[in-house]
Amino acid sequence: MPAVRNIALCTKDCLCLYVCPTGATNTENSIIDVDKCIEGCRKCVDACPSGAISIVPLIYPHQQAKEDNVINSLNKLIKSKVEQERIAESIAKTTDDPIRRQFATAISKSNRIMIEDLFRESGYMLPQSDETRRLLESMLDNPQEDFPLEAVKGLLSKLTKTGI
Amino acid sequence: MIKHEKGTIEDSEMKEHFDDLRELTAGELSALCSNLAKGCEKQYLKEEMQLFNQISDYYKSKIELTDEESFEPVSELLHNDLTQDFAKANIVSSEKEDRGALRALVWGEKVSRMLKSVLGRYAKSGNELLENTKIYVCDICGFVYIGDIPPAICPVCKVPSFKITEVGRR
Repeated sequence: MPAVRNIALCTKDCLCLYVCPTGATNTENSIIDVDKCIEGCRKCVDACPSGAISIVPLIYPHQQAKEDNVINSLNKLIKSKVEQERIAESIAKTTDDPIRRQFATAISKSNRIMIEDLFRESGYMLPQSDETRRLLESMLDNPQEDFPLEAVKGLLSKLTKTGI
Repeated sequence: MIKHEKGTIEDSEMKEHFDDLRELTAGELSALCSNLAKGCEKQYLKEEMQLFNQISDYYKSKIELTDEESFEPVSELLHNDLTQDFAKANIVSSEKEDRGALRALVWGEKVSRMLKSVLGRYAKSGNELLENTKIYVCDICGFVYIGDIPPAICPVCKVPSFKITEVGRR
């Protein structure tokens, strides 16, 4: 269970640097070094005055099962939002008018965020989930020539499986 | 801790998912993967985030653009979402007591209403709507705000304003 630091909350009081027995909290990119972090130590979490450090597990639980009816009804909305994003994106890419492009980009971005959220609730919340793993595995089946196979293989080897 | 004994079940589920993947369009897969990239970002898994983004970008590059020049079809789709599909999804999610899905639907429906209103205003006044002001999108729920300074917390999802991002004019 390594510690993670939320940069947006960190107030640079640096107490985590003082209390860390291994120096895991002291890094050039502000991300706590997982390889140095001691399982279950929590000293930095308790010392941090801004509540910016939390503990995440290496292995996550299986995700809550989703009912087919719920998935289907969310997918219907996803399809509509994907089409709205595509139209807005097309306008943004083809117009010569900077204000129209700005407006279309905002509409496209808003739709993308809603689609991502709907996918989260239709079974793809956790990158480590069985659902995600099956999706990635299915991408290895008959890929197109230019498909980034290595990215998929990298994810399948890096992401830990769920199940506590 | 990781269980492997239910191999046959997984095989049949896998088959279903192959079928699912064939049904997912490039646009859907792109958003699905950018969502998972964000999930990795939240866990500070930077490499994994980049890999999901790479797959997302691949699918994004496969989306065929339309030669549509008007936002009218977007408004029509929104009208359909707001008069039919949100209501149906709400009923199903309530029946199944899926509060996570209901949460996403509450946010999505509010944002959709606001988008419909913003598109209506843009249809009437065109670029004048944005000429002397800014436009922001909430990174968490997609809420769109037209004005100089975004609200301190998002009116839809209540996230603080540092997660409400300006969309620049390029």
